Amino acid sequence: MPPVIEAEGLTRVFPGHIVAVDRVSFAVEQGEIFGFLGPNGAGKSTTIMMLTTLLRPTAGTARVAGFDVVRQPERVRASLGYVSQDLAVDDNLTGIENLTLQARLYHLPRQEARRRIAEVLQLVGLAHRARDRVETYSGGMRKRLDIAAGLLHRPKVLFLDEPTLGLDIQTRREIWRYVRDLRANTGMTVFLTTHYMEEADVLCDRVAIIDRGQIKAVGRPSELKAGLGGDVITLRLAGTPSAQRVTSALRGIPFVADVRFYEGEYVVTARDGEKTLPLVFEALQRVGEQIVAVTLKQPSLDDVYLAITGRGLRDDTEGREDAIRHRIRMRRIRA
Amino acid sequence: MKLCTLLTDSYWVFWREMKRLLVQRARIAIAGIQPLIWLILMGNAMGGLTANPATYRLLGTENYLEFMTPGIMIMSTLFGGIFGGISVIWDRRTGFLNKMLAAPIKRAAIPVGKITAITLQSAFQVTFIAAIAAAMGVKFATGVPGFFLILCIMILFSYGIAGVSLALASVLRSHEALMAVTNLLTLPMVFASNAIFPREAMPAWLKAIATYNPLTYAVTPLRTLVLEGWVWEKIWPGLLAMGFFAAAAVAISARQFARSEV
Ligand SMILES: Nc1ncnc2c1ncn2[C@@H]1O[C@H](COP(=O)(O)OP(=O)(O)O)[C@@H](O)[C@H]1O
Ligand SMILES: [Mg+2]
Repeated sequence: MPPVIEAEGLTRVFPGHIVAVDRVSFAVEQGEIFGFLGPNGAGKSTTIMMLTTLLRPTAGTARVAGFDVVRQPERVRASLGYVSQDLAVDDNLTGIENLTLQARLYHLPRQEARRRIAEVLQLVGLAHRARDRVETYSGGMRKRLDIAAGLLHRPKVLFLDEPTLGLDIQTRREIWRYVRDLRANTGMTVFLTTHYMEEADVLCDRVAIIDRGQIKAVGRPSELKAGLGGDVITLRLAGTPSAQRVTSALRGIPFVADVRFYEGEYVVTARDGEKTLPLVFEALQRVGEQIVAVTLKQPSLDDVYLAITGRGLRDDTEGREDAIRHRIRMRRIRA
Repeated sequence: MKLCTLLTDSYWVFWREMKRLLVQRARIAIAGIQPLIWLILMGNAMGGLTANPATYRLLGTENYLEFMTPGIMIMSTLFGGIFGGISVIWDRRTGFLNKMLAAPIKRAAIPVGKITAITLQSAFQVTFIAAIAAAMGVKFATGVPGFFLILCIMILFSYGIAGVSLALASVLRSHEALMAVTNLLTLPMVFASNAIFPREAMPAWLKAIATYNPLTYAVTPLRTLVLEGWVWEKIWPGLLAMGFFAAAAVAISARQFARSEV
């Protein structure tokens, strides 16, 4: 079976030579949950918007459900469901009215629409509030309604842009469960973006790590973590010693695969963390440094991200219009 | 088949706008109160003018309110339509616009549905103004049939103005920019037309501008229908101009939304 999503050299340049997405290539198979993991400004939304025909690629090609996003935009639109990062439900309408509108925009026959609206409301647990105006919903309920709208016409591919942005951890877990159930029950392909490493880890079959518009690595979360070559030791030292001296001292230890200095901490990747720890103490003592705090853990996707890009997932950059949209979104989601 | 899809898609965009309007009761109240205030203020403040025989000659009526009623209809339609684009900018910011753009609808349905909703509101407002004016003693020279022609002209005018506003909103992406442009346009458009002052009373240069102002094309047939009667040579040029204005503005805004990126 051909991939459901296929991107080849997909690129988008905004005015001012901002290369938001830079020669991105990947393929998503039928029934996969595929995630783009990266911080704000990495180019995740821009990629989704090219795949959903909202933005035109500057270069490269993409096919969704077998249709070219530039040459057959109408066919592409009919095949996909899009849940933007914006919480795009109409607060002035009721839940049912929002879904009815969605059904009409996707040209579902009336009978069918009524049946499916009842079905998706059940699925996202909103049946009891369906006749209330969305204004009265919590942020999590709005997001669930938005996702329900994206599912209504049973798209071949569902695009979720930051599906749990700004939601509390409990609601976030609930949404993860809905997405997983959905895939299990319908075999739908899901493409999502996130800057929460836990989300990528728990929810996605495969993850692409995206940094400044480029894909740096693709694989199963477990593979990506195993690829780091061991455990992660995080050290905080007394005073402000020369990072170069400390780094070279740590690199001299046999088990150590990688050392990075990030936000005041040394992040050491080592094949066997428990055996490495005493060697780390010894090495630092030799160069006369004092350890203030230390942790040893299994690597997370955060660590993978840091090892690959040299930066964390929280490095934010936002334009003015982005900031306004973000504020509006946050006000609505916390309502 | 395509036209049929365009119409049903437009209807559902329109349906949403109307639902939103019905929920926002304050908007409905203001839409009713605003022309009422204008009528009462204009009728009383300017009423003394017509005591002067010279102004009587200029206005063509003893009743200033009779002169002003078409002007008020036009201004409320103008203001209702020119700010129509704001809903597009709002939809852009809440993400609803992208949701509609990602759906397999005819994209032209977005402006057509929104403009139709704005126009329906304006039509109600014009009817309301006519009723209040009649209650305040304004005699419509052409009676009820004349009023229906007035309504048709106002509907075309509203399609035109709202079309311009939506086309602007698809290019200007912030409230501030849209407000700035519309403020720059609207009041000079009103003052450089015969909506409030008769053209005969204007200095030559302003008269020249007023003659080509689209607002004047809407006011003249309206005023003729209210004050004079079925004087067709004063009615049809305006009617034709409004038809052309509406078609052009709707076509332009439809094109704007059918672009690959909006
Ligand atoms: N319409 C636009 N005009 C100019 N620059 C943009 C536009 N949209 C996004 N960008 C820029 O492109 C980059 C990627 O943005 P985006 O795809 O929204 O990132 P993400 O979704 O990963 O946070 C950012 O630097 C952003 O400022
Ligand atoms: Mg984004």
